[in-house]
Amino acid sequence: MYNLPSPQIEGEILAYIPFGDIVYYFSPYTLVLFIFALTFTALAILSRPEKQVDIAFGGDAYYTKEIPEKQMRFQRFMAISCGLATMAGVTTGDIFNFTLLTAMVGICNIGIVASVKNKHVLDNAYEYGILAMIGTLPLFGAAAIILATTGTLSLWEIFTPAVSVPVIAKALLVIGVIGEGMAPVYVAKAEITRAPGAPYVLMIHVSSLLMFLRVVEIIISM
Amino acid sequence: MISFLLYLLLAVFIGLLYHGIHRKVIARIQTRPGPPVWQEFLHTLKFSFKQTWIPMTASQLMFVAIVVIMIAIWVGGLYVLLTGGSLLILFAIFLLHKITEHGLGLSSGSPYGKFGAIRSVISAASEIPLFATVGAIYMVTGSLMISDITAYEAANGPLLLSVIALPMAIAMYVIVLSKVPYNPFGIIEAKEIVSGNKTEHFGVWRAGLETGFAIKTFVLLAAFVTLFIGALPLWLLLIAMLIVLLTMSFICALTPMLSPYDAVTIQALIIGFVVVYVVIAGVIL
Repeated sequence: MYNLPSPQIEGEILAYIPFGDIVYYFSPYTLVLFIFALTFTALAILSRPEKQVDIAFGGDAYYTKEIPEKQMRFQRFMAISCGLATMAGVTTGDIFNFTLLTAMVGICNIGIVASVKNKHVLDNAYEYGILAMIGTLPLFGAAAIILATTGTLSLWEIFTPAVSVPVIAKALLVIGVIGEGMAPVYVAKAEITRAPGAPYVLMIHVSSLLMFLRVVEIIISM
Repeated sequence: MISFLLYLLLAVFIGLLYHGIHRKVIARIQTRPGPPVWQEFLHTLKFSFKQTWIPMTASQLMFVAIVVIMIAIWVGGLYVLLTGGSLLILFAIFLLHKITEHGLGLSSGSPYGKFGAIRSVISAASEIPLFATVGAIYMVTGSLMISDITAYEAANGPLLLSVIALPMAIAMYVIVLSKVPYNPFGIIEAKEIVSGNKTEHFGVWRAGLETGFAIKTFVLLAAFVTLFIGALPLWLLLIAMLIVLLTMSFICALTPMLSPYDAVTIQALIIGFVVVYVVIAGVIL
């Protein structure tokens, strides 16, 4: 019953899990992404955070940053939520579901950054919040245009050659995912060096880049 | 299964050997004697038997797991290449490699590692779209399965000679170039940050990384040759890979390492060029 319309892009279907009209599926491609998201979620659950070394300017002193228990618990919760959203996002067969999960990834990413009690880091989290909220506009706009023009949200239908998706919807979808996946924006600012990284901050990059990978597949398949 | 394991051993052997040849060629161009071509084997063996521990500041499980993940993804890449799987999966593996590069640096707690990790994501912002442009091969061949692409080339000639696919070859070449040692885009391992994201990984961990990087070099070079020249017998494939690597050795020897800003800018310009070309070609087609 469930056969991918475009097996020449991501390979033949391996398994599917129907939830009503939303059908999650595993192709060789989505399976690779899922396993990777699962691996890093497991690492976020099991790993203790790093103790970042900071060097004091003007002397030979250096010290390590300890993460408070409360902050670690919240970061871990956000990282796990982010991992779950990513796992669902890379396997979903519904475009609206995909945009919804991408937005959730964005929110979790903000949460991971915002849990650090540092004025500069919190300023940054606020800016990411604005960026992510702006990103939802093209993201959901793309889903709305796709629904309006094709009459369906199911990727199974949208991937068939008979269904044509406007280029503007594809472009908006990519812009939306880039807006939500803030990894390159985050690392380009100094605040990443103020907040201890592994394994929670790593989840920001894992989720951003995996959602980008999924949207590339969706765009090519449409 | 046994044949895959043999290919895996070959990939490690050839990858390390090609790294050694790469270093030797760079040295000779710069009129230095350079190390022997088997230097990378010696490095890997030396690291395998050196004393090893995990820094106290590290996220310990992540510190070790990231090395295993690094090797695992490229073993997976080799499998995809040998079985003629989807080019999209190879693209995913390349991206996952960027994440492991990032994780390597972040997991140690070292500021040098962290700066290497930061640079790895900055470079990902330009390298990943660059690789994504290779998806435009789909426009030409109608498939992203490597087996279909090689079948297309057997029927229609190498993609390298196709005017439409040439910019994708350039994009892929820049990607492979940015992954060979001592390349101008190698900002994550620049010496001003010691060894960047690899700084704290020594001993067995470094030996594991060197093994993973050897497989990576083999997979990327083999993928480039297979995608743009076609399926070749093994001996011819190895020669073609070596020729591609030697062209890169010349670039590495004659080009200084770029600053992070310049590295991203140049790659972004190439992306812009390829995207414009693909859009124009798409309209004409």
